[in-house]
Amino acid sequence: MVRPLISDFRKKRLFTLGLLLAVIIMAIVCLFVGSSHMSVSECLKALAKKSSAANNRIIWNIRMPRVLAALIAGAGLSVSGLIMQTNLNNAMASPSTLGVSNAAVFGANLSIIAFAGGFLDTGNHLSNFDVGANPFSTSLMAFFFAVVSILLILGLCRIRSFSPNIVVLAGIAVGSVWTALTTVLQFYATDVGLSAAVIWNFGDLGRAMYKTDLIMFVTVFAGIITFIFLSRRYDALLSGDAVAISVGVNVRLLRFVSLLLSSMITAVCVSFLGIIGFVGIICPHVIKKIMGQEHLWSISSSALAGSLLLLVSDTLSRSMGNGSALPVGAITSMLGAPFFIAIIFRKGGRH
Amino acid sequence: MLEIKNLVFGYDKNSPVLQGIDMSLEEGQVGILLGRNGAGKTTLFKIMTGALKPDGGRILFDGQDLLQMSRRQRAGIVAYVPQQLDFGSLTVYQSVLTGRVSYYTVRPSRKDLDVVDEILCETGLDKISCRDVQELSGGERQKVAIARALAQQPRVLVFDEPTGNLDIANELLIINEAKKIAHSKGIIVISSIHDLNQAMFFGDKFFFMKDGTIKYFGGPETFDEATIKDVYGVSARVVTENGEHYIQYYKEKENE
Repeated sequence: MVRPLISDFRKKRLFTLGLLLAVIIMAIVCLFVGSSHMSVSECLKALAKKSSAANNRIIWNIRMPRVLAALIAGAGLSVSGLIMQTNLNNAMASPSTLGVSNAAVFGANLSIIAFAGGFLDTGNHLSNFDVGANPFSTSLMAFFFAVVSILLILGLCRIRSFSPNIVVLAGIAVGSVWTALTTVLQFYATDVGLSAAVIWNFGDLGRAMYKTDLIMFVTVFAGIITFIFLSRRYDALLSGDAVAISVGVNVRLLRFVSLLLSSMITAVCVSFLGIIGFVGIICPHVIKKIMGQEHLWSISSSALAGSLLLLVSDTLSRSMGNGSALPVGAITSMLGAPFFIAIIFRKGGRH
Repeated sequence: MLEIKNLVFGYDKNSPVLQGIDMSLEEGQVGILLGRNGAGKTTLFKIMTGALKPDGGRILFDGQDLLQMSRRQRAGIVAYVPQQLDFGSLTVYQSVLTGRVSYYTVRPSRKDLDVVDEILCETGLDKISCRDVQELSGGERQKVAIARALAQQPRVLVFDEPTGNLDIANELLIINEAKKIAHSKGIIVISSIHDLNQAMFFGDKFFFMKDGTIKYFGGPETFDEATIKDVYGVSARVVTENGEHYIQYYKEKENE
C-alpha cells in the first residue's frame, strides 16, 4: 500500500508543533521584556497580581493586550496573505490587495485631520473617555472606509468578472484613489494633524486593548476556521479554475467568500493597529517553501509564523526604542525581508 | 452513452462559437475533435466540464442531462485533463487526492484514500507519490493530471490537447495510456489532437468541426482528401501501407 500522507503528515505535524512551541515561548518572553525593566520574578508576581499596583498594571493592562494583539494580528495578516495568494493565483498578492490598507489610512487621516483638528488624543486613547469623544472614532473611520473599498471591488467583480488579474488590477486602481485622497487631505492638514496622521500610519501594537483584541480575535478565528474548512478546495484551485470546476468546486463562490473574509481580517487588524506591512507576504511564502502548499498545513503554519514574527518584532521594537517602541511594521520588514530573500535565493531552489 | 444534442454557445450574441453541435459516443470509445484553432473544441470541453454554460442544447449521459446536475454529480461523471499542467507545490499524492475533493471536506474517507492508492499503482505513480509535482518531467505531470481525473471515478474523460507539451516518446506513452484506460475501464474519452496521424492512431471516432458545427464525422475512413481540404484548407493524401493509414501533406502546384 502507498500512503505517504502519513510520513508527510508526521513531518508537517512536527514542524507545526515546533512553531507552536516557539510562539508560546516568544509570547512569554515578550510579556517579560519591556522598558520598565522588571525582573522575571517581579513579572511572575505581577502575573499573579501580587506585585506592586504599578507592576500589575504594566503586565495586565499594557503588556498582555499587546502580546495578544501580536498573536492575533500576526496570525490574521499572515493567513489573509496566503488566502489572497492562492485565490488570486498571484505570488505578490497581499492582505491588502483589495486596497484595504490604503482605504483604512484614508479613513484614519480623515478622522484625525478633518474631524479632530489634529489632536493626537483622538486615537484609541484612554484619556478620551473623559472628554466624551469616542476613543474608537479613528479606528471606526478606518474600518468604514476599508469595508467600502472591499465592497466596491467585490461588487464590481461580482457584476463583471472574478478573474484574478481583474481583481488585482481593480485593487491597485481603487487603492491608488484612496492614496490620492489621503495626499490631498494631508496637503491641507496642520503640522500637528499631519504628524498625528503619519504616526497613526506606523503600525503600533500598543494601541491594543482587551476590547479590540476580542474583536480581532473573533474575526481572525472565524476566518481561519472557514479557511481550514475550505482548505481542500484551495488545493484544487492551485491547478487552475478549469480543473477546480471540473472536480466540483464552485470557484466563483469560493473566491468571493475567501476574498471577503481575508479582507475583513485585514480591515479589522489595520483599523485597530495601523499598517503592519509585509507579514502577509513574507510568512506565507516562507511556509510554502518549507512545507509545500497543502493548505490544511500551510494555513495553520502561516498563522503561527505570522504570530511569531510579530511577537519577535514587537519585543525588539520595545527593546531597541530606548523607552519608546519603534514602529513594529518597520521591524517586521527589517527582520523578515533578509530571511525571505535567503529562502527565495537559496541554493538548489526552484523558481 | 454520451449524446450531445444541438449545443449552442456564444461568448456574445453576435458571434456564436457553437451553432448546434450534435455528437454521440459509446462506452469505451475514444472520440477525437478535429478542426482549426478557434473552431470551438476547447469551448465544447469547457461546457462539458462545467466552466461555461451553453445557451441551448443538452448533454446526456445514459439519458441524464449533465447540464441539470449538481457540481458534485457532474464531477462524478465527467473528469478533465487540462492542457495547462499547473499543480502548485503539492506532492503527487495530494494532487491526485484533489480529484476527490467533492467527496470530502477536510478529512478524506477510507474510500477516498483507497481509490487514490489504486489509481497511483495502476498508473505507476506510486513510486514517486511523495515527490513534489513541480519537480517532475512533462510526461510525469501529464500522468498525474490523468490520475487526478481518474480519482473522480468518471465515466467520461475530457482530454484537452494531451500531446501539446510532450516529446514524441511521452506523446505515444500518454496516448497509449489513455487508450488503455478507455478500453479497459469502459470510459468514454473525448479529446482534441492537432496531429492528424496521431489522431487517427488514437481515436475510434472522429468529429471534424467547422463554422461552429460538426461538419464530418465517423470512423478512420472519414479522413480523406476532400475533408481535410475543406476543414484545414490543406492538401493531403491518405496513404495506405500494410493496412495502416497515414496522412501525407503536399504542396499544390501553382497553376496559372
